[in-house]
Amino acid sequence: MTPLMLSFLALVGITCGSALVMLWTKNILHAALAMFMTMLGLAGLYVLAYADVMAVSHLMIYVGGVLILILFGIMLTNQNSRGDKDQNNLVTEESSRVWPVLIGLAIFVGLVFILARGNFSGVEIADPNSKLSFVGISLLTEYAMPFELVGIYLLIALIGSTYIAKHHD
Amino acid sequence: MLILKRNAIFVLMGIELMLNAANLNLIAFSRQDTTNQGLLLGIFVLVVGVCEMAVALALVIQAYRQFQHIDLGRFKSRN
Repeated sequence: MTPLMLSFLALVGITCGSALVMLWTKNILHAALAMFMTMLGLAGLYVLAYADVMAVSHLMIYVGGVLILILFGIMLTNQNSRGDKDQNNLVTEESSRVWPVLIGLAIFVGLVFILARGNFSGVEIADPNSKLSFVGISLLTEYAMPFELVGIYLLIALIGSTYIAKHHD
Repeated sequence: MLILKRNAIFVLMGIELMLNAANLNLIAFSRQDTTNQGLLLGIFVLVVGVCEMAVALALVIQAYRQFQHIDLGRFKSRN
């Protein structure tokens, strides 16, 4: 058992465990905390896949941006419907658990079946160096057109979301 | 998570989780690829996911202003 394998198993445990906690809990703040742990584990898995650029940008964007957005959303849409004013009541409702478990298991078994039939021959040796300069150069040469397009898309989405979220009288 | 939860923000977190799972697949299979196409596609997927999250949370907040709740089982159509 190499240290690489051990750290991979630990990161998989963190990621899948907190994803399951996120699925199981009914308190939405606990789910946000579990999502934070999931994102940390995912960043570690990106590091193990030799994608350090992706790990750092994933940490910055998800932990610094999306999670804060979700927390703002939770606070802005907090509904104190249960009546007791003394405690923070962030417990949400659920539908029945039978159908979601069945559908999720069916998709999981199908994916495992398809991946087990795959033929992964001819894999090459991965190069363990940093991919930062490679990503920078190829984003500005070979992938310059999608890079600009994604910038315009980001601008449109930000302007559109501020327009949607404003008060319409 | 998409089907189980009835809070709209929970559903959004589930969508985000599935997007990240697909992205992890891209990155993991690009590890054995010398041209690293999966890594670059993963970066673009990250940006698109952030855009989706911003717009969806704006929609959730606007729905909360309209209906005073975001319980997906209680939205009714008007006809």
